[in-house]
Amino acid sequence: MFFGYTKSHVQAELFCIAFLLTFVFPLSAFAETAVEIINKVQSNLNGKTAVMNLSMVVKGKRATRTMKMKSYSCGDDKSFIQILYPGKDRGITFLKIDNSMWQYVPRIEKIIKIPASMMLQSWMGSDFTNDDLVKTNSLTDDYTKQLLAEIDQEYQVELLPTEEAAVVWGRIVMGVSKQFYLPTTVLYYDEDDTLIRKMIYTDVQPFGEKYYPTKWLMLPQEPEKIGKETMVEISNAVFDEDISESYFTKRALKRYSN
Amino acid sequence: MFRLTCRVAWASLVRRRTRSIVVVMMIAVSLWGLFTMEGIYGGMTEQMINSAIRSDSGHISIFAEGYRLDPDLSRQVNNVAKIESQLVHAPHVSSYVKRLKQDGLVATAHYSRGVSIIGVNLLAEEKHGKLQGYIFKGEFSFGRKDRGAIIGFKLARKLHVRIGSKIILSAQDSHGEVSSVSLRVTGVLKTYNMALDENAVFLAEKKARELLAVEEGVSQLAIILHNDSQVAELQQKLRSLFPSLEILRWDELYPALLQSRVMMDGFNLIASLLVFCVAALGIFGVMLVSVLERLREFGIMLAIGTRFSQIRNIVFVESFFLGFIGCGFGSLFGAGTLYFFKVKGLDLSLFSDAFDEFGMDAVIYAIIRPSYFITAFVAVSFATFLSVLIPLRVLKKSKPIEAINQV
Amino acid sequence: MFFKLAFRNIIAARKRSSVTLFLTSITTALLVFSSAWMDGSHFTMIQNAVEIYPGYIQITEKDFRANPSYDHLIFDASFIETKLAGNDAIANYAARFESFVLFSADEKAVGGMLAGIEPVREKHLSRLFSSLQEGEYLDGDDTNQLYIGSELAKRLQLEVGDEVAFIGNGADYSFAADNLIVKGVFQTGLFDFDASSAFVYKGYFDKIMAAENRATHFIVLPKKPGQAEQLAAAIAADLGGQYQSASWNQTMAALVKAMKLDSFFGYITLGIIFIVIFFVIMIYTLLAVFSRIHEIGILRAIGTTPQQILTQLVLESSMLAFISVVIGGLLGGILAYYFSIYPIVFSGMEEQFKQYGLAASEMPTAFMPLTILRDMTVMFVLSVLSTLYPIFMVNRFKPIEAIHHV
Repeated sequence: MFFGYTKSHVQAELFCIAFLLTFVFPLSAFAETAVEIINKVQSNLNGKTAVMNLSMVVKGKRATRTMKMKSYSCGDDKSFIQILYPGKDRGITFLKIDNSMWQYVPRIEKIIKIPASMMLQSWMGSDFTNDDLVKTNSLTDDYTKQLLAEIDQEYQVELLPTEEAAVVWGRIVMGVSKQFYLPTTVLYYDEDDTLIRKMIYTDVQPFGEKYYPTKWLMLPQEPEKIGKETMVEISNAVFDEDISESYFTKRALKRYSN
Repeated sequence: MFRLTCRVAWASLVRRRTRSIVVVMMIAVSLWGLFTMEGIYGGMTEQMINSAIRSDSGHISIFAEGYRLDPDLSRQVNNVAKIESQLVHAPHVSSYVKRLKQDGLVATAHYSRGVSIIGVNLLAEEKHGKLQGYIFKGEFSFGRKDRGAIIGFKLARKLHVRIGSKIILSAQDSHGEVSSVSLRVTGVLKTYNMALDENAVFLAEKKARELLAVEEGVSQLAIILHNDSQVAELQQKLRSLFPSLEILRWDELYPALLQSRVMMDGFNLIASLLVFCVAALGIFGVMLVSVLERLREFGIMLAIGTRFSQIRNIVFVESFFLGFIGCGFGSLFGAGTLYFFKVKGLDLSLFSDAFDEFGMDAVIYAIIRPSYFITAFVAVSFATFLSVLIPLRVLKKSKPIEAINQV
Repeated sequence: MFFKLAFRNIIAARKRSSVTLFLTSITTALLVFSSAWMDGSHFTMIQNAVEIYPGYIQITEKDFRANPSYDHLIFDASFIETKLAGNDAIANYAARFESFVLFSADEKAVGGMLAGIEPVREKHLSRLFSSLQEGEYLDGDDTNQLYIGSELAKRLQLEVGDEVAFIGNGADYSFAADNLIVKGVFQTGLFDFDASSAFVYKGYFDKIMAAENRATHFIVLPKKPGQAEQLAAAIAADLGGQYQSASWNQTMAALVKAMKLDSFFGYITLGIIFIVIFFVIMIYTLLAVFSRIHEIGILRAIGTTPQQILTQLVLESSMLAFISVVIGGLLGGILAYYFSIYPIVFSGMEEQFKQYGLAASEMPTAFMPLTILRDMTVMFVLSVLSTLYPIFMVNRFKPIEAIHHV
């Protein structure tokens, strides 16, 4: 994959340049536009491909559950997730291609296509919805951006969905670390400007040439959901290596179930 | 001769003024009550049927085969142009609309719900079922560039959305992919058709076609006729022309509404019968007494050569006078009241929860049918006629001469 | 003295009295029966709606009704169980756990409710058992056997013995899925319910959904269903502020109001009939007193005071009214009683009842002595009132006028 190589290579270079620029030169001298910032964030978050080991801790009002899984993704339109832990859920697999999602459950030996009406249901009991996993709303296309503020280490970028974008949010405010061009906090507001949820990205670590936040904390802010949280921790991420196309077919659901 | 009879009858009614007035009042008030009841109950039923026809079924609806059992996007009416050419030329057809439907999901930042997505052409819907009349909030428009949606009021309440709120509509398109569109609520609809008020999201047909990736077919063709007596005929005709389609009348789609109508008619009939029987009893009592009181008088009349048939006519005319005057006043007041409720409506918002439960408008607009008055007139005539039969028999049996001698 | 005279007068004017008697008693019977019919049909409709599934009293966690999520479950079902078991006013009770899952059979995936129930107790609490259409009802040692609504079965194209999978979330939000075998199909007649509900034995459900000792709600059948309201309050007091105990009056408020609306229209219709009857009685009284005007004149001439005559006439009409009301009340009461035991059946009306979320075509009347007495009183007052105008009118005549009145 020659092209893939060049692209990531260029990305890495750009990243280094950005890195240097932010640190070496005084800020005001190099004011970036919000669009540029978000483009960088987007490309930093979505590599060409990614293979990650994740653990997800879902804290409810009464109990805390931990899940482990492995995720394979190619761009932002294809991904495959395999549940590894807990034992009773081991082997459950998910496949996402574009806007559709399938699930395989070994216990019932069945592949189920998640219908449109279930898209906003919670994913595996977490504070993420099926839609959060499936959604292809790209930060680049679906939002207009505006730089709200520049604080020491961060840009504050406001993202307003365009009129056509199928996005439920009224606006999103993203804190972007100047060091890594990665998100630090993302605040999701509804149309009445009420905070609905808060994502916090921390513990940026290097994986090869790439820096990536390894802790994602989701804090729902709606009154009846206060106190819940979902924490995703990433270990062992490999970016931009080739992944067999066989992971992104419906047959993979059964094949890679174990 | 007839005039004389009338004058005598009138004079004897006037002589017993109180009694006559009470009888006239009784008839008038009872008819007034009956008319009001019939008109309002009738209005209520027709309102329900009407809103189902206007907002959904039309008089006749055309679906693809199997659509009603399994309303899948794959089951579409495809030969639309051919059907349309038939409808355009059919003399009975007043209007028709095409609708594209699919079940989907509507979401805001807070809530999501399963809904029925209906792609429509608002201009055609307005001409067809005057859908604009059902707008409860907002406007009857999809706004600039068709980015608006008109949703049912119960759905709006459940989603906590207002005019201008953004909703995201998702559905499986014809290729099986989930596709989404962002719309703003431009109008809220209150059709009193429960299914629509709770589940419907109307959007521009063009938008719906984009969302669902459907180029031509439609899910439903709803037809309204000029005259609802021709419904069965047109249904037969369309069925023979398009045997592979499901062609259904409104009463086949909403059997419960037809039953309401039948039940309401039955109920009205029983109530009317009761009222007329009792009223007849009232007239009967008055006529019997007035005949008995006048036995002496009639005896004298017979003695001086008046024929019995003449006396009989006088009694009949008296009775009819009472009946018709009462009927006249009753019809007048009844029609007036119904007209008032037809224009202003009877506002029963006190029970609005209950009306919502039944899927009815809390403001009832009465209807006025000539049949109410004709039926009442016939019934009153019949009642007055029957109520003097026995008094006349009594009169005939009694010996007038004896009556004269009795003091 | 007055009493005797009144009685004699009634007997003397036999024809007039019998017409008044006939009318008043028929009207009373009509009113008594109509009330019994309306109350009965409303009661039946509500009872049906209540007994099909929701139950007379529902006990939930205090916030569950407003926000039905797994955060507001009953987390200690055995606590409630012990409390309920100790309550003498309760005939039966059972726990349920309702969850929303995705059913999947072949290519079809349909969202619906999967609930764990206690099959043996549930038999006495709801109509699930009696709504069996095909196959068998659940029992207490079932595992993955499913009791499914007829319309849902149709949507998933399932028959008894077929397999269907579900995926959903357990009580701890963990993932849950299993294959179920259709054991029975039920049809309550409530389309929405039949199109979205399925049941399994709670013991099995608890294991697969991590719901041991958890419930979304309990339903309670009072020994005296008429006192559900009071019992619900008593249970609430017993359980403490952590839980809510609601009677059907609260859980089905809209239906209750709809029934009130129906009564409202019913009474308006009766009112119209009464107006007519009121007039007819007035006419008859008018005729009667005027036929006696001569007699009244003489009575006045020999020194009877208008007061006495008034008393006399009112007493007469009251006696007559009383007798008629008693006869009518008895007649109406007997009819009400008969049809409460042998209900009227509407065979063609199922569609309409279904539309209102009701599933009954059998409508027994309500035999309630208190209501009958109320109706009899109303009719008595009404018929006495309707005689007053003619009586006052005749009393205004001067004795001489009266004697000469023709």
